[in-house]
Amino acid sequence: MVTETKTGWTDSRVWMVASLVIVCLVSALGLSQVYLVTKPQIEKQKADAVNQALGQVLPNAASFEEKEDGLWYGLDSAGNRVGIVFRCDPRGYAGPVETMVGVDLEARVTGIRIASPAEGMKETPGLGLKARDDWFRDQFKGLTADQVRLKKDGGTLDAISAATITSRAVAAGVADGIRKYAPRLKTDDAPEPDAKEDTAPEREGMR
Amino acid sequence: MRKKPPRLKYFTSGIVLENPLLILMIGLCPALATTASARDGFGMGIAASFVLICSNIVVSLVRRWVPSSIRIPIFIIIISSFVTIADYALQAYQPGLYQVLGIFIPLIVVNCMILGRAEGFAYTHGVIDSILDALGKSIGFTLALGLMGIIRELFAAGTVFGFPVTPAGFREQPVLFMIFPPGAFLLIGVLKSIINKLTVKKET
Amino acid sequence: MKLNPAQIFIGAFLINNVLLFRFLGLCPFFGVSTAVSTAVGMSAAVMFVMLLASWVTWILFNTVLAPLGIVFLRTAVFILVIASLVQFVEMFLKKYVRALYSSMGIYLPLITTNCAILGVTFLNIDYRFNLLQSTVFAVGSGLGFGLVIVLFAAIRERLEYAPISGSFKGYPISFVAASLVSLAFYGFAGLFGVSL
Repeated sequence: MVTETKTGWTDSRVWMVASLVIVCLVSALGLSQVYLVTKPQIEKQKADAVNQALGQVLPNAASFEEKEDGLWYGLDSAGNRVGIVFRCDPRGYAGPVETMVGVDLEARVTGIRIASPAEGMKETPGLGLKARDDWFRDQFKGLTADQVRLKKDGGTLDAISAATITSRAVAAGVADGIRKYAPRLKTDDAPEPDAKEDTAPEREGMR
Repeated sequence: MRKKPPRLKYFTSGIVLENPLLILMIGLCPALATTASARDGFGMGIAASFVLICSNIVVSLVRRWVPSSIRIPIFIIIISSFVTIADYALQAYQPGLYQVLGIFIPLIVVNCMILGRAEGFAYTHGVIDSILDALGKSIGFTLALGLMGIIRELFAAGTVFGFPVTPAGFREQPVLFMIFPPGAFLLIGVLKSIINKLTVKKET
Repeated sequence: MKLNPAQIFIGAFLINNVLLFRFLGLCPFFGVSTAVSTAVGMSAAVMFVMLLASWVTWILFNTVLAPLGIVFLRTAVFILVIASLVQFVEMFLKKYVRALYSSMGIYLPLITTNCAILGVTFLNIDYRFNLLQSTVFAVGSGLGFGLVIVLFAAIRERLEYAPISGSFKGYPISFVAASLVSLAFYGFAGLFGVSL
């Protein structure tokens, strides 16, 4: 144990308080600098991740505009709406399976993306996780709400072997989502003229 | 000149004989939680090493001015500062890794190894010795975490650092068990028993 | 993701148990789970401090750190809060509640570096829980910690008498046992359709 009295003055009450204050101040100042330097980069990373996911499920769109939490409008380079992307959390075997779904103006699926485990996916690793495999996701392309159903349930989708609950959950979530958001495809909620500035408005929405 | 050998020992002891994870059984939480793949294991090890090395340096630099009765709170503030730096740096420049390691980055602050080295070594030794000690312990910890990550990834996915190393048939039906928490417990149990076997042999 | 308190409780208590699935608080888990009596004392202390720490850190984060924009001090503030809280509880119990102090007092100093406590306080913030949800989460996690550590202590008491071969004696067989307990807890997955 380090109990030997050292030079003495370090153990005075004044220095005890002063040293603690100094350490706290130096630490707080240093960290605030770190925070200021990294903050823009962190926000950019988050925005990039969302944009990448959006582009993956609605490839025709050049830019996206967040309309509400979990709903984006996809715009082409001229600012016309080409489809929507919505997020749904169907309940899988071990919890919600966060899924992003792109839908074109005819209410057909253009692509789906399932969050990785690191992003909050809690399905049985390896089995439920196969829902992220390309062959499973590609099956959804071009389907309407009524067609999004497992073969077992009278639809066209192959379920992932040993992960039927997850497969069925994703299919149901996608179908429900399309029905819920289909009215939003037709509303004349025209995009703002300035929506051509790709990055600024969508960054706003990412926060 | 006579000081040389013990100094080197500060460095080497941490790697094998006093390996923080496999011998001293310190830092179990991150070792089990973040070693689902080789990349995650090494990433966690490197983040913890960064904090350990920096805090050891700072503690040994300021040790003469630290009042002994409040040294622990001061060490904690120093350590948590470096933990926060690691946290934000990973978030900004390695977002994928950050999402996997998640809460275990800020939790480095309660890793017994780091406070233990600050209090038990850096507080009573010079800067050079403290760096050597921190480097040795860091390498030992990182290698142990990386080893667990490599083994678990090999069994659970048939890959190492994402590169396929097993026949395709194995990769289609791998030992998924190893990626689950029970697999992590089993692996460290087996590793520990191997080490017990080896150390007992050495002694006799 | 909106979860009602009952779902949060079941999730924290059984399904995503702090020890077995989140790997938080493993050091005391293997350290003090050698006998049922010590396990009970330790888990009582953990439950108590976990709840107090959740309240204090939640209030501090949402009334001071977040409004002032100094969230980057979270790690430092939380660990200092927990350390001083533990000190304070220890002094309080020593002075006023001797009976409780004698049963869980010796475990209190170990709790500061118990990552289950700090982990739960971080998760309360990361999951954007409100105060009620945080309370339920802390209670569920604390009880989950207690349940597993006491169960496991009972297993280890029996392991003492089991004929374990040389190199597996001690820690290794405990890890293997933990692996099996953890596997058993997978039976709770999907219970009431809950997950966190």
